[in-house]
Amino acid sequence: MTELSHIRNFSIIAHIDHGKSTLADRLLEECNAVDNRGQETQILDSMDLEKERGITIKATAATLRYQADDGEIYDLNLIDTPGHVDFNYEVSRSLAACEGAVLVVDASQGVEAQTLANTFLATDAGLEVLPVVNKIDLPSARPAEVKAEIEDIICIPAEDAPEISAKNGINIRSVLEMIVKGVPAPEGDRNAPLQALIFDSQYDSYRGVIVYTRIKQGTVRPGMDIKMMATGATYKVVEVGYMSPKGLQPKDALGAGEVGYITASIKTVSDTQVGDTITSIENPAAEPLPGYRPVQPMVYSGVYPADGAKYQDMRDALEKLKLNDASFVYEPESSIALGFGFRCGFLGLLHMEIIQERLEREYNLDLITTAPNVVYRITKNDGETIMVDNPLDYPDPMEIQLAEEPYVKVNLMAPQEYVGNIMDLATSRRGEFKDMVYLDANRVELHYDMPLNEIIYDFFDALKSRTRGYGSLDYELIGYRPSKLVKLDILLNGDVVDALSFILFAENAYPRARKICEKLKDNIPRAQFEIPIQAAIGGKIIARETIKAVRKDVLAKCYGGDITRKKKLLEKQKEGKKRMRTFGTVSVPSEAFMAVLKLDED
Amino acid sequence: MAILTKSNNKTPLGIYIHVPFCRSKCQYCDFYSLSSKDDKLMDGYLNAICAHIKEAGALAPAYKVDTVYFGGGTPSFFGAEGMATILTYIRRSFDVDNNAEITFEANPDSVTDKLLKRLRAEGFNRVSLGIQTDDDEVLRKLGRPHTFANAVTAYHRIRKAGFRNVSVDLMYGLPGQTLRAWRETLEHVLTLNPEHISCYGLKVEEGTPLYEYRDYAKLPDDDAQADMYLAAIEMLKAYGYRQYEISNFARKGLYSKHNMKYWTGGEYLGFGPSASSDFAGKRFTLCRSVQEYISGIKNQDQIIDEVQEIPLRERAGEYLMLRLRTFNGINTEDYERNFLLPFAPLEDILEKNRDFGYAVRTEDGRWHLTPKGFLLSNTIISDLLLAQDKSAPLKRL
Repeated sequence: MTELSHIRNFSIIAHIDHGKSTLADRLLEECNAVDNRGQETQILDSMDLEKERGITIKATAATLRYQADDGEIYDLNLIDTPGHVDFNYEVSRSLAACEGAVLVVDASQGVEAQTLANTFLATDAGLEVLPVVNKIDLPSARPAEVKAEIEDIICIPAEDAPEISAKNGINIRSVLEMIVKGVPAPEGDRNAPLQALIFDSQYDSYRGVIVYTRIKQGTVRPGMDIKMMATGATYKVVEVGYMSPKGLQPKDALGAGEVGYITASIKTVSDTQVGDTITSIENPAAEPLPGYRPVQPMVYSGVYPADGAKYQDMRDALEKLKLNDASFVYEPESSIALGFGFRCGFLGLLHMEIIQERLEREYNLDLITTAPNVVYRITKNDGETIMVDNPLDYPDPMEIQLAEEPYVKVNLMAPQEYVGNIMDLATSRRGEFKDMVYLDANRVELHYDMPLNEIIYDFFDALKSRTRGYGSLDYELIGYRPSKLVKLDILLNGDVVDALSFILFAENAYPRARKICEKLKDNIPRAQFEIPIQAAIGGKIIARETIKAVRKDVLAKCYGGDITRKKKLLEKQKEGKKRMRTFGTVSVPSEAFMAVLKLDED
Repeated sequence: MAILTKSNNKTPLGIYIHVPFCRSKCQYCDFYSLSSKDDKLMDGYLNAICAHIKEAGALAPAYKVDTVYFGGGTPSFFGAEGMATILTYIRRSFDVDNNAEITFEANPDSVTDKLLKRLRAEGFNRVSLGIQTDDDEVLRKLGRPHTFANAVTAYHRIRKAGFRNVSVDLMYGLPGQTLRAWRETLEHVLTLNPEHISCYGLKVEEGTPLYEYRDYAKLPDDDAQADMYLAAIEMLKAYGYRQYEISNFARKGLYSKHNMKYWTGGEYLGFGPSASSDFAGKRFTLCRSVQEYISGIKNQDQIIDEVQEIPLRERAGEYLMLRLRTFNGINTEDYERNFLLPFAPLEDILEKNRDFGYAVRTEDGRWHLTPKGFLLSNTIISDLLLAQDKSAPLKRL
């Protein structure tokens, strides 16, 4: 085990594109943890999706062995964190595993929204925040000004912040020195009862679940009987060790202050929930570490294979994804319009998009997704209370005594000049203003109670656009409140398309119905006949659009040389139709389903 | 196989000759052709194509050629001598029926009395004249090297030379064209009294000059083109022309026998660069460049770009795609017997289309599209192809 005084646990925080992953790569490289040759960029973001979107979805960690200028060798444990409000809880657990955070700020862009939001998360977690000014080799770099900005806006000293270029490997050592000198060494008693914080876990088909952990107190060794304090699951430790970018490196033991992994033939990630505390059965800790929250999907949506024959493939894919993601749930459901599929629960919309994209890319499935919704609580006239996560299960209005929807407490942060915009936005989303706090001369935090339903669609995007990217958002569930709800049905050519039905606040019904009809009109191809699109509550039509009939779709010329080419054209047209669902006589492409999910984009 | 030469049971064959030379390139054209007069290249082409015909003729003793079609490019621009030579080679190398339909395409600017006289004497009996429109301004804009008056003169010369089967090509959906202007074009052309008229909607093809400035070309939109199309069908019908294919109209049964082969699954062999063939179960296309074609023939190299052996299932798709272009349409017996696939799933779709007035079932059990249905033929055919994909082969007939 490494001496506590020679361990530094830190994460890197930054606004998107400020160079977080590139810096992580350079740090690893500088410590020779990574072979330079044939190296892919951005080692820590291992999913393709992460590299592409430039965001980190799953936390990962690596141990760097660094010989500092003082001649000593330190273990620097880098814990990468996800960067989206959907994963705020996961971020908080990763940060709880660290004593310090390196804050990367772009030398030309300066301080931005996420810089702030992430810095606050880190300081709230009691972390030492150490700024670094990146991309100093760009012609537009203005390091001195940016340092002043960091001091003024974030109120942390930045005078000595290293000026680096992660991309071109300039001054990387100074960052490592800063970590050694600036991040406090961890504390803890290696003889105390075991308290190990789970900050992530991953399924491996050979070893079972690999638990990524920060030991807070005590020591864990192979052969030890352990217990997850929240889930109650018990296991015998098979192996412990640390994460090197080259792979898992086994060790004899992991002691307080260290970051590493534990394997124990664990079959499912749902036994190893993020934030849970691992303790020893023989010598258990009196209390778990603070901050654990069981995962609870906030958003549900129906996910269907575009090709009905792919149902079984989709089930297999979901099973595999679930192995690695305890926060995602699913169960089979069926729809008249879409056939057999699954009702899936997600942490938020980004989480939903990520799961969908992974299903499409990694498992080669085409999907149709229905509008996401929250879980409503309905009390019927006979006194029975049901939880409705699917519009198809919404009872007849005549049977409903009380309808309730989940509310969240929302914290919104932004520079004060955007307060007006934020208030307008929150009010338009049924936000109930609580209070407003000045964090400093410039920054304001607003508190609202708001229906969760208003947040899940596109609130984050709307907030970003109304605050020029500076606003940030955090929310937590506070319970259910009575509400006036209605179920909105969509009819195509007179037939209800069950997969397009959804539940919403009654007063939002008219504008939303109009928008949905417009979107569908734009996204359903013209057919040989005119197609009416209607939105209805109960039997009452509240909005209507018409798709004009197409009149010309013909290949005027087709002779010998054209036949192969024109055949390909018709084949393509035919393949396009395979991606459409037919409702009565109307074909709807899967894009139309996606379009109605993004109503407020324009 | 000399025993078979005089047999009456020979398979009919069409021959297509691609002549890739034009005086100038039209702005909308994406066919392969060269627009300069290069005598050496033309000689090389002539030698190559004749050698090619000779070579292929030896492989097709069981066929009787009943149509020959010289297309392009502009065969009339290539000249009578060359065309006569090619036809002579065809006659020498293949068994050509005495009543074969022998067509050449001509442009008004390259039709001379001398050329016509020569070709008529060689046995050419059908001319397809590219008139396109009566609007000289539009002709100029499209890069066509003639006026409408030139076209009328050319037409009369063709008649004078003794051609009794003349087709005229017209286009609608041209820059700035109105429905009214299109009707006038048709009226002007109808006074010429051709046996056959083709009306093509202008399609802007990628890679053509027109494609580059399509947004500024004042092209009529799809709805306007649809109106022009329906107007043409109505007018031509009134003048006694039967629409036998999406874009083709003929009097007295004088439809293009050669082109019908394309739509009814007949066999044909193509010669010259970029020409296509459907022969002995295979579809293939020759290399696109004339230089490559010449050297390929000379050096006995590869001249085929792409060969496809078409499986029965795909033939079934082609049957729908091509037959539904014609007024003969499709029928249960042909379909089920030839492809061992059920017709019922197709009939469901056709019936729906009948309800909208897009398809008709004739008394003798054939299904064909109506003019409005022709306009939507891609949509309808791709629906049928999808239904066909999903259907399992018949267990018995």
